[in-house]
Amino acid sequence: QDLSLPNGTPVDTSSPASSSSLLNRLQLDDDLDGETRDLFVTVDDPKKHVCTMETYITYRVTTKTTRAEFDLPEYSVRRRYQDFNWLRNKLEESQPTHLIPPLPEKFVVKGVVDRFSEEFVETRRKALDKFLKRVTDHPVLSFNEHFNVFLTAKDLNAYKKQGMALLSKMGESVKYVTGGYKLRSRPLEFAAIGEYLDTFSLKLGTIDRIAQRIIKEQLEYLVELREYGPVYSTWGGLEVELSEPLEGVSACIGNCCTALEELSEDMTEDFLPVLREYILYSESMKNVLKKRDQVQAEYEAKLEAVALKKEDRPKVPTDVEKCQDRVECFNADLKADMERWQNNKRQDFRQLLMGMADKNIQYYEKCLTAWESIIPLLQDKPETK
Amino acid sequence: MEDCLAKKLEITVSEAEKRTGRNAMNIQETYTAYLIETRAVESQSEGQCAPVDSLWRRYSEFELLRNYLSVTYPHIVVPPLPEKRADFVWHKLSADNMDPDFVERRRMGLENFLLRVASHPVLCQDKIFYSFLTQEGGWKEMVNETGFQLKADSRLKALNATFRVKNPDKRFTELKHYSDELQSVISHLLRVRARVADRLYGVYKVHGNYGRVFSEWSAIEKEMGDGLQSAGHHMDVYAASIDDILEEEEHYADQLKEYLFYAEALRAVCRKHELMQYDLEMAAQDLASKKQQCEELATGTVRTFSLKGMTSKLFGQETPEQREAKIKVLEEQIQEGEEQLKSKNLEGRDFVKSAWADIERFKEQKNHDLKEALISYAVMQISVCKKGIQVWTNAKECFSKM
Repeated sequence: QDLSLPNGTPVDTSSPASSSSLLNRLQLDDDLDGETRDLFVTVDDPKKHVCTMETYITYRVTTKTTRAEFDLPEYSVRRRYQDFNWLRNKLEESQPTHLIPPLPEKFVVKGVVDRFSEEFVETRRKALDKFLKRVTDHPVLSFNEHFNVFLTAKDLNAYKKQGMALLSKMGESVKYVTGGYKLRSRPLEFAAIGEYLDTFSLKLGTIDRIAQRIIKEQLEYLVELREYGPVYSTWGGLEVELSEPLEGVSACIGNCCTALEELSEDMTEDFLPVLREYILYSESMKNVLKKRDQVQAEYEAKLEAVALKKEDRPKVPTDVEKCQDRVECFNADLKADMERWQNNKRQDFRQLLMGMADKNIQYYEKCLTAWESIIPLLQDKPETK
Repeated sequence: MEDCLAKKLEITVSEAEKRTGRNAMNIQETYTAYLIETRAVESQSEGQCAPVDSLWRRYSEFELLRNYLSVTYPHIVVPPLPEKRADFVWHKLSADNMDPDFVERRRMGLENFLLRVASHPVLCQDKIFYSFLTQEGGWKEMVNETGFQLKADSRLKALNATFRVKNPDKRFTELKHYSDELQSVISHLLRVRARVADRLYGVYKVHGNYGRVFSEWSAIEKEMGDGLQSAGHHMDVYAASIDDILEEEEHYADQLKEYLFYAEALRAVCRKHELMQYDLEMAAQDLASKKQQCEELATGTVRTFSLKGMTSKLFGQETPEQREAKIKVLEEQIQEGEEQLKSKNLEGRDFVKSAWADIERFKEQKNHDLKEALISYAVMQISVCKKGIQVWTNAKECFSKM
């Protein structure tokens, strides 16, 4: 879905009046920089592989692009969860100043869930798709060479074995100080982000618990309903004139049971995973904030050391200068990513919560249809039969 | 057929009041008294408002009335009273007899009982019933004077006794079986319904927690804040709505309960018939054996073993005079027995005829009432669904503004 005119000219999507900008807004992953999208990635087609040593699932990762960084316009490869995990680790390593999107949890918390069940695989597929789309949308991460290899390499394992691939200037330049530096003063905006993330993940945790509790209560309600409906049927068996009305009520309750089951399933598969994803996101973001603090602390310490030496140097030593650069880059990257993250978060939650409301509306609509359809049956006079 | 009382007299149980007094054993007790108001219907059509008569009665007096009616009209399916104690409660509902909600539902149940009796073609003509509605003092004495208590005691014994009828009436046997099954299925339904109510309460109430957390979350958000906050409010509305929903459903449960108790009344009629049938068979058997004894004495043959026969063998035959005397006594008894049997048969046929007429009337009433109850239940569910759609649509709109 390239946003370009038939003759190939890219369309300006920054003007709100253009229909393609409207199309852009309707797309799931809104590119708010107004850039023309030239990279599209999808995760689909899960397949089970049974080998002697293990059983696992692979997903098809399809790429369509016009970017020069890619040799071909289209790629289709198969990847498994550990490949995604590898990619994420590589991204964290090589782009430490950026917020890397989260992956769905590696291990299933509740042992009851079947790793190979259709629902679990589909939930995971959606999360992996989301992960790649978020990377794709990022103006810096999407150009990362590990990402490129992930999307294109036929044999990813060979590449993995090579260890560190082509050196990236950016990645090399930011080395991690293993603590020891104490931060003097955290800039207000980063302190605010930290506080925000703390409260945010706390609230999400609460919402997760509430949603789980609701699902639990709904399932208990369902258990009782499943006993309730058939009693009307039993009663219908005793009666003559009331037989059909009672059967009707029984069937109606049965339909409501099915609708409720669907609602609980949807909430479990679509709602809870996204909440958890954002909680994981917050955690990884807080780590990036910590790293930023460390970089700033290192700079401040070096600066102070220079000041204490009291040497009259015409210019600031290069390594202190480098530190300053690092701090400023980090701050800039982080700020840009935070803004992007806030916008995406707003979109994602808007969609998530609207989806939750929608599912509940659909549940009630199904029940409404069921009950409305038996009114004529109940009112039916035996003479008219 | 005379117009039933319900058409001539407006009857309501309009109030309930807590009272304290001393009972028969001079122990202080608290009870609820109910105000029965009656007003003649006729004069209202002329544009005049007839005066309202009223008197207070307590539940035990209603029970006395019903017992009297059950004993006096054994062939009638007598309308039941609302339950004595709160049963089939779900956790939020009180099982306390003094609880205002229970008292209120009982007040409505008592009014319903009086209206049922007043609209019954046979029962409405009863004088004791009329006095119950209109005569405050001395009513209890009046009831006791009818001597129904004696019949009541023997009836109670009979209802619980086990005996076997040789030639049961198939229709009554089937009906008794039906009433047993009906009681069983409605009890089951009421029990499960109470559990369903309990669970549904839980589902709705937990949603209230969203209200609080959305509010807290909105405090740290800029653009999302308003949408979250207002959506939270709708979640609170949703959580609160369950109270009214379940209160309305109690009314449906009460309608089912009435027919649960009606099933018992139906069973009582079948049982009464069984009793009469047994009585008849015993009387016929007794008559037959007396006839046989008579014949044996007259002809001198002993066909069946009897203690008399044994003793006469052992101690010698009776004198002709003794025998004559015995025959005469037996012949008198036989004549009495035949008359009794005749009247019992007549009684039995009358009972069957009038009982069956009332049973048909009851069946029609039951089918009509239960159909109406199911319709109003469906309507209630439709309303619940529509409310649910409304609340979630409102919430969705708030989310869309995030």
